[in-house]
Amino acid sequence: MRCGNQEKTEMTTKKLTQLAMLTGIAFALFVVELQLPGLSPVPGMKLGLANIITVYALFHYRPGDVILVVLARILLGALFSGSGMSLLYSMSGSAFCLTGMLLLKNAVGEQTIWISGIFGAILHNTGQIVMAILVTRTPGVIVYLPLLLVSGVLTGAFTGLCAQAVIRKLPAAAVDR
Amino acid sequence: MRRQKPGVSCLLKTGICRTLPLVLLPLLVAGCGQEREQPKAEQTVFAMNTYVTMTAYGEQAQTALEEAAQSLQRWESLWSVTEEGSEIYRTNHSGGQSVPVSPETQELVSFALSMAQETKGALEPTLYPLLRAWGFTNGSRQVPQESEIRELLQAVDYRRITVEEGELTVPDGMQIDLGSVAKGYAADKIAGLLREYGVSSAILSLGGNVQAVGSRPDGTDWRIAVQAPWEQGTLGILEISDAAVVTSGGYENYFSDEEGYLYWHILDPATGYPADSGLQSVTIVGKEGRVCDALSTACFVMGQEALAYWRADGSFDMLLVTEDGEIIVTEGIAERFTPGEDRTEHVEVVRR
Amino acid sequence: MKTKRLTAFCAGILLAGLAGSALVMQKPEDSTVRIVQDGVVLFQTDLQEAEDQTLSFVYEGRSNTVEIRDHQIRVAEADCPDRLCVETGWLRTALPIVCLPNHLVIEFADEAQEADIAVR
Repeated sequence: MRCGNQEKTEMTTKKLTQLAMLTGIAFALFVVELQLPGLSPVPGMKLGLANIITVYALFHYRPGDVILVVLARILLGALFSGSGMSLLYSMSGSAFCLTGMLLLKNAVGEQTIWISGIFGAILHNTGQIVMAILVTRTPGVIVYLPLLLVSGVLTGAFTGLCAQAVIRKLPAAAVDR
Repeated sequence: MRRQKPGVSCLLKTGICRTLPLVLLPLLVAGCGQEREQPKAEQTVFAMNTYVTMTAYGEQAQTALEEAAQSLQRWESLWSVTEEGSEIYRTNHSGGQSVPVSPETQELVSFALSMAQETKGALEPTLYPLLRAWGFTNGSRQVPQESEIRELLQAVDYRRITVEEGELTVPDGMQIDLGSVAKGYAADKIAGLLREYGVSSAILSLGGNVQAVGSRPDGTDWRIAVQAPWEQGTLGILEISDAAVVTSGGYENYFSDEEGYLYWHILDPATGYPADSGLQSVTIVGKEGRVCDALSTACFVMGQEALAYWRADGSFDMLLVTEDGEIIVTEGIAERFTPGEDRTEHVEVVRR
Repeated sequence: MKTKRLTAFCAGILLAGLAGSALVMQKPEDSTVRIVQDGVVLFQTDLQEAEDQTLSFVYEGRSNTVEIRDHQIRVAEADCPDRLCVETGWLRTALPIVCLPNHLVIEFADEAQEADIAVR
């Protein structure tokens, strides 16, 4: 959706390279996280380190580009883990997550980027639960929501703070919008 | 200070805050209205050779049920195969003459004949002479001679029955019996009557044929216990609303000979012997009682082929218990069936 | 200021989540459990009365082995990539044991319902 006064920007090689790098880092974080011992036997509870990249991208690039990076990372993740099912859950979670974060972006100031991280994580977990309910056709799974909300707030704050720190170190000027 | 264009999130928030209460309020009021206690009416009558229990909720439920009870008596006097004055009896003993019949009788017979055609003869309304030979009609219960069965089969053919313009004709030597469809048809009529009287919640049982109008007064589905074949227990609970549930199985009426071999009252019209198709029971769930009634008998005769019939038809659902004790449910009711506690039957869901 | 509202909102979510978690982590009073696959209830029993037994459920060629022992239930073996269901251990709270790839859910159920009427 384009608003009237935005200029048309092109995908320069420089930008493409930057986006690709971000995708790579996100993917690497995803893989590293997989190796860590499981936090708890709750489906969907994880640190979500790759979201640091998503939050960072959110504040430096246009929405379309952020979506590209997230999609690319999810696809790579699904290929790597060899599980088609996880693709479904990631897509669902990310759809909720990105929509929310994009909507909220204007409301959040530089000092409070961590809030964006929280919203992202909460929405992501909610999206996953919704998909799990639909797939297993068992509404009872919703019982996991409170736990995932708590973990979402906590992990989201963590990744959000990380992103905030990174964003401060890498000012927008250095980045090709 | 530069004035920012209102972000989407801001618009969403104020918009939602203002309109949400407006939307919720009428819903709350409407919901409260539904919860109001409705008067309950009950009737139990003995009709059509069986117990009929009816429970209905509503201002006019009592009146409606009383009228239903009267209708049941009237229908019995029209369709009874044994009562000498009934339209069916007179037709069966008219020596092939056509007999004028009431509109309900015409409708019921037409329905039975069309279902017979639909099921390619698995439902056969002309089996009465055979049923009598087997002793199921008077409780004598005997195994007829093979020759007798062969001869009686000559008189079994629904295609030779005609009913039109208020006249029913049954050829000499044949007998029509509406036992496989009458209860379901009556249930439909009573359900229609209840709805006319403004009743939106009722549950009927006509000799075990269940018919539900709407849901329970609190809005939840009616819980129908499905009997486990050949034992006293419950197979499980089926949750339905606005539907009919009819079960057929050999265990309902059977006897055994000296060797312990079992014979039941659902005969295979092709052989004249009890239908031995690999099923212990068939439960049909659908919108119309008459259809469920007809199909429960027909599908028992069809056996596993009933699944092909279901796939082609698609207007009903069923639960089968195979002779191995497996439960097969069609996808429409799969999520509405809960096995009873400690039932270990394997449940298989069949999808289109 | 907007940030304050957002922060309050996040705090609210956290509190709701904590409260909900506390509720959910309680052991339910009832001891009826049910095993559901693809929304279809396959088995139901009262753990208090149940004998020790193992049950096996197959989904698209993959199996889950459920064990009931000493009036408790769990997934003993599973043919799925993450095996979270096995790691969840014995069913203790309102949180169901879930095997997402096999669409299998084991949960405490409300009282096994009474029927309104029987179809014969």
